Amino acid sequence: MKARVLDSGDVLKVVDLLRDSGYQVVAPFAEPGGDGAFAPVTDENRDAIALHLPNPLYPPKRYALPPIEPLLEIRSNGPGPAFRPLMEAPRVAVFGMRSCDLAGIDHLDRFYLGGTYRDIYYATRREALFLVNVVCTQPGVDIGETCFCPCTDTGPAAREGFDLQLMDLGGSEWLALAGTARGEELFEEPIFRRGTPEHLARREALLEDLRSRFRTHTSWFAAAVAKVSRGEVTEGTWEEIGRRCLECGGCTYVCPACTCFTVSDRPLDENRVERVRIWDSCALSGFTRMAGGHNPRKAVHDRRNRRFYRKLSHHFIQRERSVACVGCGRCAEICHGDVGMPAVVELLRRGPEAGGSP
Amino acid sequence: MSTAVLSAAPKAHLHENVYLPKRAVVDRVSDEIVDVKTFRWHFEDPADQAAFRRFRPGQFAQVSVFGAGEFPLSLPASPSEQDFLFTVRSVGTCSSALHRLAAGDVFAVRGPYGNGFPMEEYRGKDLVIVAGGIGLIPLRSCILYALAHREEYGRVLVIHGARTPQDLMYLPLLEELQRSGQLEVHLTVDRPSSGWTSNVGVVGSLLNKPEVKLPVGNSIAFVCGPPVMFRFAIRDLLALGMQGKDIVSTLERYMKCGVGKCGHCCIGMAYVCTDGPVFTYEQIVQLGESI
Repeated sequence: MKARVLDSGDVLKVVDLLRDSGYQVVAPFAEPGGDGAFAPVTDENRDAIALHLPNPLYPPKRYALPPIEPLLEIRSNGPGPAFRPLMEAPRVAVFGMRSCDLAGIDHLDRFYLGGTYRDIYYATRREALFLVNVVCTQPGVDIGETCFCPCTDTGPAAREGFDLQLMDLGGSEWLALAGTARGEELFEEPIFRRGTPEHLARREALLEDLRSRFRTHTSWFAAAVAKVSRGEVTEGTWEEIGRRCLECGGCTYVCPACTCFTVSDRPLDENRVERVRIWDSCALSGFTRMAGGHNPRKAVHDRRNRRFYRKLSHHFIQRERSVACVGCGRCAEICHGDVGMPAVVELLRRGPEAGGSP
Repeated sequence: MSTAVLSAAPKAHLHENVYLPKRAVVDRVSDEIVDVKTFRWHFEDPADQAAFRRFRPGQFAQVSVFGAGEFPLSLPASPSEQDFLFTVRSVGTCSSALHRLAAGDVFAVRGPYGNGFPMEEYRGKDLVIVAGGIGLIPLRSCILYALAHREEYGRVLVIHGARTPQDLMYLPLLEELQRSGQLEVHLTVDRPSSGWTSNVGVVGSLLNKPEVKLPVGNSIAFVCGPPVMFRFAIRDLLALGMQGKDIVSTLERYMKCGVGKCGHCCIGMAYVCTDGPVFTYEQIVQLGESI
């Protein structure tokens, strides 16, 4: 993996380079009220790109897997339906993707491209994506209260999966790592210069210090995985998790690693419908309801059990060779019932009597 | 992409759009019981027709009807039969839309999906088909497959129950196969109508009847039906000495993709669409969710 150094004043020039080479660049911006959001970069907003800000609540997952993605156009202007695949591969560069969200993309890659069937829609969109990872280096800003990537081994600095990784070394210098040949091509630009072993040493020292700055750095994730995988979690624990869940589905919609979708045919006009896939949530009761009304998974604790079993059981970790939780903490941030992943890990480990919070 | 390691494994459908259905034509529609119709159909493209022929009993397909959507249907025909079939009860949006199709109408199908019954593994065994109501639809394929390979199997019995005699599935076919001595058929209903001479009671009430002579030592029981019937039939079969590994069923789940991606049919550690829909009772217990 090649490394280069650039001046902090030149970091946004990476955005310019990507835009010049034909990418639509999306980057994080601070929104009024303190939230952040990924949005397309324009000439007007380019200088407002936020290099350090709390990770936006909506992960950039949607550039690989849109919340609503057209699959087929179905025409019925003749004898029966005709199908036309609607496949899109916009050249999008995500600038400022956090390491946790990058791990989410890696999980999606393994899930959608692996298994018996390869998802050609995901593959097409994914191949056109350029990912610029920015390492979280500012406790209290980049690294929030609910972040727990050291527990899931996905951060604060991603080891792979990016085309380019940028890290603020403090002072006026940033370190750039190329993860792919496409990323390495950028190093020919004059903003990048060769670094010294001292730059890499500073990176390591910074990361070492950062790991201790997380509020949660041992969530006993592995203990929870072991308990779930061995079937040692009591029904009472699942019921307690279910009792707290408000069935809003929020955790699944902010999760960088959730993969479930539903498919719906929606009319475009009299003779055409569009088949789209739409993110879906296992937290919602209709998720398993069949025609005629029979629902094999009615109870809310069955559904919570499902989400956490899917994310924490060794079986699924082995199946995808990746964990479907990346330690971003968004579920903890959005959950009104306090059954985000860190709280659940605590409940699974200690049982409902020991509590965790509320 | 970091998935390079994964793609080292042989992948059957690397560049195929697995969500793209193939056009199919309805040849004939026939009424079965109230609200249930059978569609005889073929693919428009002979290449699709030939490719689909590799299906096995217990597999399923995703069926599209214009304007309604796509839904999973089991394959009631046996691969040994010339024609492809769907038998479906009109229950939801898609099944109702399918019911409105007539001979000559075009719809679309993709598949076959799922594991299917390992019929080769059952060679030399007696086959007991236990079906409640429209649970017989996916098992019709097994019956005709077994009869097409008659010398490979021992006894082939069908134990079929329904609410009323009018709710019994595939009755003309069962009676014909029974008359020709190819199949042992035992019927039961909850509520008999006048002229009913066979058994009255739940499916389980037939299992230990002396005239049924249920084979338990070297047999496979295929069980499909509504959840209540399923639970009690399994209980009775186990009580009669059958083992969980010798009882098989095909599970029904809400499914959107059929190819292991949408997540709806995932129970316990299995995706019903790609790991199933056929599971032994032993496996169903391990999956740990209700039927």
